[in-house]
Amino acid sequence: MLKSPNSVSKSTYWVLISIVVLMHVVLAYRFFKLQIIDFNLYSQRAESNRIRAMSIPAPRGLILDRYGEIIVDNYPTYILYGIGAEIIDKQHNYDVISQSTGIDIGILEKNYKNYYRNRFIPTRLAKDLTINQLSRLEEEKNELSGIIYKQYPERIYNQKINASHILGYVKEIDKLPMEKSTNKDGYEYGDLIGWSGIEKKYESILRGEKGVAYYQVDAFGREAGQIGGEENILPNPGNDITTTLDVSLQQLLENELSGRCGVAIVSRPKTGGILAYVSAPDYTPDLFTGIISNAVWQSVIADTNRPLLDRVANGTYPPGSIFKMVVAIALLEKKIITPQIEIFCTGSYDFYDRTFGCWSENGHGKVNLEKAIVQSCDVYFYQAIQKIKLDELAVVAKQFGFGLETNIDIPSEMKGRMPTRQFMNKLHGRWGWAQGALLNMAIGQGEILVTPLQMARYINILATKGKTRTLHIVEKNSNVIPEIFINDRSWKLMQDYMGKVVTAPKGTGRRSNPKIPGLKIWGKTGTAENPHGEPHAWYIAYGEKDGEMISLVIMVENGGHGGEVATPIARNVFKHYFGSNNSKLAKN
Amino acid sequence: MLLDFRKKIIESPYSVLLSVGGLLLLGLSTLFSITATQGQPPPNALSKQLIFLVPALILMFIMLMASRRVIHKYIFMVYGIIVIAVTLPFFGEKIAGTYRWINLGLPFGLQPSEIAKWVIVIALARYLSDHNLKMKNFGSNIIPFIIALIPTVIVLSQPDLGTAFVMMIPVFTMLFWVGARPIHLFLIMAPLFSILTAFNVIVFSIWAAIMAGVIFLARLRLWHAVGLYFGNIFLGLIFPLLWNSLRPYQQNRILTLVNPELDPLGAGYQIIQSKTALGSGGFLGKGWGQGTQTHLKFLPVQESDFIVSVIGEEFGFLTLIIMLVLFSWLIIKIIRLALNSTDRFSSLVLVGISTIFLSHVFVNCAMTAGMIPVKGLPLPFVSYGGSFLLSCFMMIGLVLNFGREKLD
Repeated sequence: MLKSPNSVSKSTYWVLISIVVLMHVVLAYRFFKLQIIDFNLYSQRAESNRIRAMSIPAPRGLILDRYGEIIVDNYPTYILYGIGAEIIDKQHNYDVISQSTGIDIGILEKNYKNYYRNRFIPTRLAKDLTINQLSRLEEEKNELSGIIYKQYPERIYNQKINASHILGYVKEIDKLPMEKSTNKDGYEYGDLIGWSGIEKKYESILRGEKGVAYYQVDAFGREAGQIGGEENILPNPGNDITTTLDVSLQQLLENELSGRCGVAIVSRPKTGGILAYVSAPDYTPDLFTGIISNAVWQSVIADTNRPLLDRVANGTYPPGSIFKMVVAIALLEKKIITPQIEIFCTGSYDFYDRTFGCWSENGHGKVNLEKAIVQSCDVYFYQAIQKIKLDELAVVAKQFGFGLETNIDIPSEMKGRMPTRQFMNKLHGRWGWAQGALLNMAIGQGEILVTPLQMARYINILATKGKTRTLHIVEKNSNVIPEIFINDRSWKLMQDYMGKVVTAPKGTGRRSNPKIPGLKIWGKTGTAENPHGEPHAWYIAYGEKDGEMISLVIMVENGGHGGEVATPIARNVFKHYFGSNNSKLAKN
Repeated sequence: MLLDFRKKIIESPYSVLLSVGGLLLLGLSTLFSITATQGQPPPNALSKQLIFLVPALILMFIMLMASRRVIHKYIFMVYGIIVIAVTLPFFGEKIAGTYRWINLGLPFGLQPSEIAKWVIVIALARYLSDHNLKMKNFGSNIIPFIIALIPTVIVLSQPDLGTAFVMMIPVFTMLFWVGARPIHLFLIMAPLFSILTAFNVIVFSIWAAIMAGVIFLARLRLWHAVGLYFGNIFLGLIFPLLWNSLRPYQQNRILTLVNPELDPLGAGYQIIQSKTALGSGGFLGKGWGQGTQTHLKFLPVQESDFIVSVIGEEFGFLTLIIMLVLFSWLIIKIIRLALNSTDRFSSLVLVGISTIFLSHVFVNCAMTAGMIPVKGLPLPFVSYGGSFLLSCFMMIGLVLNFGREKLD
């Protein structure tokens, strides 16, 4: 069968060959028509009647506080570009731009060099031009060649607050973020992308979609008008985000902590929503929009107080006495102590060859559990802690979130440290540590480290008997935290004692009470010894009035006694929030 | 055995490789210009194309060495497999709005329809050479058409109109090659034209006149002639009514099937840009890397479907003519080999392959030059594209194999 002979006639062959030749001749003639006969027409069109597609940036979504007040907004600025292939006399163009806008020629030259990618792609010459500068430049349009501009929505921030560590900042995309970003869809060089804080976490919501506009441009790259509007695609602005923040409260706390290093967090225990989130010192969020000069930037980086560090989520500190509730609960649950047991505090405690001091050098005299917490007696805990194992303590501490992430909706947080037996063996060696280490931990010192954010969750757990929700900044129904199995009596005792910390005459938290009728406050102070100087002053508390409850965490680095330094700040917060002046709360 | 291999290698008609090499060089230097001027670091179109050349040459060599008897024996089985293969993409992910690619976990997708093009040709060649058909009879054309039509309909619904087109065209030349009457081929096409022209009264009238003339000249029997003519006219009249009875979304679904590139935003935009790029190139072009239209990214898919506009803009009319000469030389050379072939099977395979190349070249260039609507068909050896490059070199391997005078 394969051998059936080929019997093609010559005429069939020639018909086929003619078809092939004819088709190629048709193509050749078509090319000839386009490239030789109509050459002038098309080269003119190419040179003088080009169509340029420019992307229209989409404004990012706004960030609002819980009452709808704008925290982050957009304002239009203009960016000036030069197209290498179309600029005729670079120096002359620079001169004209400089004269009409007042921008230094050196800046133009430097930018052109920095942003140049190839001679056909618009290269950025200057940004943040005002509409005035632009209109003066527009008058000189005929002197320019290959110079174009584009409107760009830049971020602008509420002047009352910084909140820089939560809001985060946006960054212009260049090579680095392009490679790092997991979602590269639709980003091009020069676009803004959320690079930290809420801007990063909620990038996909805030971002929006870019549009496209088609322009006719002449031989010098000057716009010769838009092409029929139908083909343009309008940008789709990003969605707004409503946060749980309260601008006035944030402002109050930023003022309270200005000039100090410290942290303040205010949240609502029942929802986990954060009202204020202050890490001092901070910086103005404008820092990254490029308006601020290099000198200011350098001073921020060089500052030894590290304003760029988010102390709330990434600073780790010993908790000091605010840890005592965990110890007390662990001891009560194991039935090692009863609330009635009393010890005698002389102001210090001898343990083998070491002496552990109580913060009150004169001693507290006879102390039961209530007094040990209300007056924060250390000796009581030195004695009681010896009957419990480290791992048993760690299990209870973990339930309160010690050593665990809070899963707040900002991109980075530290876990802190809650030591276990295994951890201590690893750190010091099997025989390198002894019971003495446990005595330190009993008062929240030693190897225990916490972030202030973890303490916010901790106080929320205490305030709600474990029924709080995950901390968050953007409004949503967040998850309930894992259930905590603790006797209701222990919860009640702790709340009772924390109440007395504020109300008892010798209670360490009494200065935090603004004495507003109907407002009840529970709290615990801490004074955390540390190698960097004065102790850190801690105060965690919650207050409730007419069913509305807020909690707060105040920490002043090297501030001294929590009962003296941190509690007055707390009083101002309660006064502001629950006071009669807060009309917004009434509406809530 | 070894001697046999040596003979096979020596006796292949290598002059076709000259034009292939020339076209390949032209394509690579154009890709180099596009990638270099736009500052794209590897992996870019150029580096990927160079990497694909290695398996392409290996596959060409395999096709060159394969026994023609074995190919003849198993081609219907391969045909069956390829029909299944072109349906496979429907079970995978939709890529760029179509079901063309199979994802095997490789860094690139495979396009079975590329292989299907020439598998259909060989299957047809076997059918037409095995049976002693009386080609003067109209009925003899039916089965060959069905062989090509099955995979074509599947590919058409991927949707991929361009490839479907290239699958059908060889049927006509191959039937013509074995002596089918042109009038029969015309009549097979007639209903399609009747439908397409039905929407415009003037065009439909012209079509009716042409049809009447052709049928008259064909000197058919009266009843056949009358039946065919009025059958087509009736189809043309009834079709718009049927069409209008469809709901708009149903119409749209069929329209995108016919022309997936139908882009409401850029209707005509691509053609305007492509013509401007070509025309502004002139006789000698703007020079390597100097094409403003190209590098301002006015041109869409410039490294694959619209590569001719880049060549025209940067290297000019002269280079395009050289390119057309190379293509026509390649195609005519293959048809010459078909003429001189001693057996009908080989001869038909060669004619079919030459038709595939011819339709690619014509459709691609005509589209770039704005003569026909946009269809996504790449240019052999010049355009960027992995599966297509592999398929082209396999076809060249087949040409070298089937072009040898002696049957192994």
